[in-house]
Amino acid sequence: MSTPELVTVTVDDREIRIPKGTGLIETALACGVEIPVFCYEPRLGAPVGACRMCLCEVEGMPKLQAACTMTAQDALVLRTAQTSEKAAEGQRAILEFILLNHPLDCPDCDKGGECPLQDLTFRWGPGNTRMHFPKRTFDKPIPISPVISLDRERCILCYRCTRFSEGVAEDMQLVARNRGAQSIIATFEDEPYRAHFSGNVTELCPVGALLPATYRFRARPWEIDNVPTVCGLCPVGCNVWATTREGKVARILSRNHPEVDDGWLCDKGRFTFDHLRADDRIKQPLKRVRRRGFDPVAWEEAAEEAARGLGEAEGSVVVAFSGGETNEQAGALARLARQGLGSNAAIVPDDLDPAVDGFRAPLAAIRDAEVCVVLGDEPVVDRAPVVDLWLRAARRAGADVITIHPAGSIGVSPGSAAHVARSLAEPGTAPPEFRELADQLRDTQRVALVWSGDDHDRGRRAAALAAALGLGEGSGLYVLPRTPNGRGVSSAWRAAGEGRGEEPPEDGEIGALIVSGDEAGYDPRVARLSERARFVLTTAMFMGDHTLWSHLVLPGTSYLERDGTVVNLEGRAQRQRRAVDPPFPDELEFFAEVGERLGLPVSPRPDEPSPALQAELPPRSRPGALSEPAPPPSPNGTGPGLELVTYRSLFSGPGVERVEPLAFQRPRAELELSFADADDRGISTGDAVLVVGADGVGRELTARVNRRLRAGVVRVADEHADGFARHVEVGKV
Amino acid sequence: MPESDLYREIQRVADRYPVRRSAIMPALHLAQGKHGWLSPDALREVADALDLSPAYCQAVASFYDMYHLEPVGRHTVEVCTNISCALVGAQQVLEAFEEELGVHAGETTEDGEITLRTIECLGGCGWGTVVAVDHRYREPVKPEDVPGILEELRGG
Ligand code: SF4
Ligand code: SF4
Ligand code: FES
Ligand code: FES
Repeated sequence: MSTPELVTVTVDDREIRIPKGTGLIETALACGVEIPVFCYEPRLGAPVGACRMCLCEVEGMPKLQAACTMTAQDALVLRTAQTSEKAAEGQRAILEFILLNHPLDCPDCDKGGECPLQDLTFRWGPGNTRMHFPKRTFDKPIPISPVISLDRERCILCYRCTRFSEGVAEDMQLVARNRGAQSIIATFEDEPYRAHFSGNVTELCPVGALLPATYRFRARPWEIDNVPTVCGLCPVGCNVWATTREGKVARILSRNHPEVDDGWLCDKGRFTFDHLRADDRIKQPLKRVRRRGFDPVAWEEAAEEAARGLGEAEGSVVVAFSGGETNEQAGALARLARQGLGSNAAIVPDDLDPAVDGFRAPLAAIRDAEVCVVLGDEPVVDRAPVVDLWLRAARRAGADVITIHPAGSIGVSPGSAAHVARSLAEPGTAPPEFRELADQLRDTQRVALVWSGDDHDRGRRAAALAAALGLGEGSGLYVLPRTPNGRGVSSAWRAAGEGRGEEPPEDGEIGALIVSGDEAGYDPRVARLSERARFVLTTAMFMGDHTLWSHLVLPGTSYLERDGTVVNLEGRAQRQRRAVDPPFPDELEFFAEVGERLGLPVSPRPDEPSPALQAELPPRSRPGALSEPAPPPSPNGTGPGLELVTYRSLFSGPGVERVEPLAFQRPRAELELSFADADDRGISTGDAVLVVGADGVGRELTARVNRRLRAGVVRVADEHADGFARHVEVGKV
Repeated sequence: MPESDLYREIQRVADRYPVRRSAIMPALHLAQGKHGWLSPDALREVADALDLSPAYCQAVASFYDMYHLEPVGRHTVEVCTNISCALVGAQQVLEAFEEELGVHAGETTEDGEITLRTIECLGGCGWGTVVAVDHRYREPVKPEDVPGILEELRGG
């Protein structure tokens, strides 16, 4: 990039040399001068100049100017309210105007104490009001969804929320209706704002108009602590503040890491914290007594029992990881099993091939790519939500974003990612559309390659494609893991023994099975293993099917209750801090105790987690020898009826399912079908359809026509596809 | 799901724009023509045809006076109450209509025949008060002209 031209700008008599085109708000800041703003927020795109809070005097211009809409030009002389009485007068007038209809109900407003409107009025506003008429009133607060409430009286019409909805998340669900003084913020009719990123508007709103309903009347700013930690619910690893009051988590806020999340969070990350207080949370060790009954036991007894069960199983222990453990937890468990109990069999999620790290790049680099290619059937927004925002930012910046899956810009049959990747890597024999794309990618400097789904070969096929395309600096490969810390857990497992160890034995009796966490318990493979295990030890936060087949159940902790390190999809090691204490010893302490009884040193704090508040991305690893990718899975073949593709919704999983206010976000019992298939069958969106699998399993679902979906394919969230085969018949009820 | 005529008509209009969503205004007009007003279902249809959200379509429609977000009668009487017309007695004209029709501005007569509305500047400021009767301008209108206008409308 060329070096930008420097220009001289004067702000309140201070001269500065600054790149031409820098915003005046930033220019002033660089001079140590703060210009107050409401609507200005660079992450929302071009400034709109809606609130006029930033009025300043610009030499040569007769009227006050909105500084946020102007940029640094040579010889520009700016006077802010600090040196210009005219500007100060203008700002006071603007604040008086903004407050005309503002209810000033600060004493019972949850924003009070951390409200930009309060702060700016205090610093820059008039001391009293001349408004003696009744103010405009509205019903308040109204829920725009079960997690967000809107108080229209407090709204100052800065359009931050609607600009987010239209220009960042691009869901276009939150809009301004009517015009001028009659404008109101609204959703369509009475429909809830149902989108993956809706909660961000509660942080963007500079007043108490949009607030998290879950925080209503919960705390005041002077009685809370904000703990810097990292979200543990998906492999993005967004940086967050956990707001706690009296030892309880009251809300989650973003803590902008510009390379990872740009200050955005998904609704799962923002609102799932209440799972900590779920009714069925396990709070003490439970020991199986009768076939399905459990008795609470003391920790001593539990440790004794675990040591006995595991000790007897020496050499025949299988560990099933969730992929949500910290590196430290996984390391302790891995050492216990591999070094202590001589057992190397495990189910380890997301054990990515190291070759992937040869193409590592920060997530923010996606935004600067010229071409982005997304391969795989799992919706990016459900697997690693914030990656979807980076891709949208790339498209807005002019990138070509090519998605290759059954509902993609190039529609392919389900399960084709590996085939397509091979075609792109060896275009000689590929169909013409992929040959063209391969040429385009080879001619492009900055490519972002996102791999979402198709986990069978541990990212090797994706790495082979990245190597074939010669992705250099500025480009990046992003293999989206299935689990939040699968990458860290699998490294910890490898480090504790010789390499990857073994797969669990196919048949025969197993001495002991350790199920680490609820996610592992949900895995049907683990459930099948449990039937062959003499002793099953499960750590879990909640009761469920997976605890019922255990012999010993220990209370599990949440990512908000742990201290340790997690590795995100980029390969960035980040620190999770304990926001609140778990109501019992955590897994690490328990397994250390068990280790001690077995004479194995598993220290409770083996590694010192990094103290960094904003972790850096390690450099790319040297491209090593690339091991041969596994052959692409055989295609589904043609069956009778329509081909079924399922996906895991973001709002599925043991924690989020227990958060009542998020129930409206759970995947609907819905069948997506292409326009052509709907047309053939006379089906419209909203119709009830009967879906019948090859084995005769039938279920009624609601149809939704998706014009992007490829003909011959139907899509269902996996929790509504239970028992279906790969092909289904669909008919109108 | 057979594609509706409206869907196809909107596609034809959208094809004339470099960015398809720019066709939203004519698309809303088409939908209003078909449905009589922009009901939630009509807005959903427009959104589907242009790959926009219903909320976005509703936001655009609510900005302009020409789109009806409530059902309207067979005829519309729209009285300009913007500044120039206001200065020459638009309020009295409006009140005369209200009295004659027995409805308030924004309402429709009980027989579903006539909807009375206020509207922003119609661009005939030199000849106020301007009244659009079924989209045809009457100017200048005085309160005493009102009975005649309505008689004509009911008769014709
Ligand atoms: S609700 Fe808040 S963010 Fe949205 S326009 Fe009003 S003040 Fe701005
Ligand atoms: S995108 Fe992932 S890491 Fe970020 S808030 Fe959501 S679940 Fe948490
Ligand atoms: S901050 Fe400049 S106009 Fe709102
Ligand atoms: S003000 Fe009535 S037509 Fe312009």
